[in-house]
Amino acid sequence: MTVVAMNVAAVKPVEPAAMASAAAPAHIAARNLAVDFTVQGRRQRVLSDINIAVPKGSFVSLIGPSGCGKSTLLKVMAGLVAPSEGEMRVAGLSPQQAVKARLIGLVFQEATLLPWKNAIENAAFLLMTADETMKRGEAFDRAAKMLKMVGLEGAEKKMPSQLSGGMRQRVAIARALALDPEVLLMDEPFGALDAITREEMSECLLDIWERTNKTIVLVTHSIDEAVLLSREVHVMGTGPARIIETLPITVPHPRNEASYSDPAFTAAEKRLRSLLIESHRRGRK
Amino acid sequence: MTDMTAETPAMPWYANRFWRGLYNGLPAIALSAAVLVVWEAVIRLFKVPTFVLPAPTAIVESLIANARPLAFAAQATALEVLFGFVLSAIVGVAVALVIVRFERFGRALYPLIVLFQNVPKVALAPIFILWFGYDLSPKILLIVVIAFFPVAIDMLAGLQSVEPSFVSLMRSVGASKSKIMLRVRIPHSLPHLMAGLKVAITFSVIGAIVGEFAGANQGLGYMIQFASTQLDTPLIFAALLVVSVLGLAFYYVVEYAERVLVPWAPKFDPIHSAG
Repeated sequence: MTVVAMNVAAVKPVEPAAMASAAAPAHIAARNLAVDFTVQGRRQRVLSDINIAVPKGSFVSLIGPSGCGKSTLLKVMAGLVAPSEGEMRVAGLSPQQAVKARLIGLVFQEATLLPWKNAIENAAFLLMTADETMKRGEAFDRAAKMLKMVGLEGAEKKMPSQLSGGMRQRVAIARALALDPEVLLMDEPFGALDAITREEMSECLLDIWERTNKTIVLVTHSIDEAVLLSREVHVMGTGPARIIETLPITVPHPRNEASYSDPAFTAAEKRLRSLLIESHRRGRK
Repeated sequence: MTDMTAETPAMPWYANRFWRGLYNGLPAIALSAAVLVVWEAVIRLFKVPTFVLPAPTAIVESLIANARPLAFAAQATALEVLFGFVLSAIVGVAVALVIVRFERFGRALYPLIVLFQNVPKVALAPIFILWFGYDLSPKILLIVVIAFFPVAIDMLAGLQSVEPSFVSLMRSVGASKSKIMLRVRIPHSLPHLMAGLKVAITFSVIGAIVGEFAGANQGLGYMIQFASTQLDTPLIFAALLVVSVLGLAFYYVVEYAERVLVPWAPKFDPIHSAG
């Protein structure tokens, strides 16, 4: 039944996500957000007029050419970059407050594991940093659970140098999940992995999302990845960096390999490709 | 599936560690032996006076004859090296930490340190002797001014080469600057620190010998100088041999410490260490 409803939405793209966000307050919301950077004494607008509403438990992707500010937008959500204008709200709080409330988990393109700690110590590391009062055993239990969730059972004692790129990234995801954040922010988490590993990781992430129901924001370069994983894709363009279109993805859940041949998938993929090519062309002018 | 552990196949004799080591070390051993033989032959053939250049056998003779005084001298020098090195390490690490932690002060301090590094330290030896006399302290001080620099510079490089995403991660859970320093920056800098310490230990030996040249009543440097006034060239060479062995021993102690303390340090992998 839900499948039918979604397919109707595909024909007439007035997004169900927007309806959901109208009903419940958005989990992550940006209003008229702008960010200026000072580069060599010159003020530069790297993001302008960003309005975004991510419903709780949704999966949203930010896609766009290099330099479109998608990573910066993610950093604003994570409280690492302060907005110059407008505001960002995460779970109704400012990003800094959200950080204090441990609502945010981060995953980067590089796994950034501490080379002197093994997999489970790495997975527990941020949790123990965030909560000094937590007992080591408790933190390790949670880390072990998360390692199991990302499919790394049995590799707890391995050092980062003994893990493949995909496995290292799984540890990084487990480390973020161990914080039990409400929001998972991922900046091209699979960008440094080979194609097959990427697909594996996508499925792993889908699985995690379905099981934990976290709000996930993913920055990616990959159209396939964005369509397969997201409920909604925000396409960003350059000059000035902004969101040029928000595309709801109506591919039915649960998604898997078969989803690639779904008509909604191919339609969304085609639309995204033409938007990206267009924005890329405009960016070069 | 066959059980690989059940029956270890007999290893050929050349797979044995001892023979492999011998085989790999053979060229070096052969070359050293050849040099010694040629050296000895030249001295005997051309009747080179011993006070100009002693034959290897004469050096060994002197080494055996002076074993006790050489051992005492080595002990004195080793003590200076040890104290000087430890103090250099402490000063170097402290300087690096201060520069990183107190950015403004660091910006003022750093050029001064680089400037100081360009002062020829050997020239400071007489001043230190003048200030502190003939005992241990001027040598230790000389070692510190020579050897703290590589420690400070390498530690600094280590502290500052932490990937920004690490810092972002720590900030994303609300970690303070000092927490990031303690949990991420300092451990991350340890391999760099060990590289600096390896340079510092060789500098420490040089510093001790120079300090003893400038004014001392014991130590290998003092012994070399004393022997030169007596034209006892074999003893000079014997003392030099002891200095080299001492330096080598110190170096390998530091390298062993590196392997134990920072097993994750990249080894001979420039691409890895650059990343």
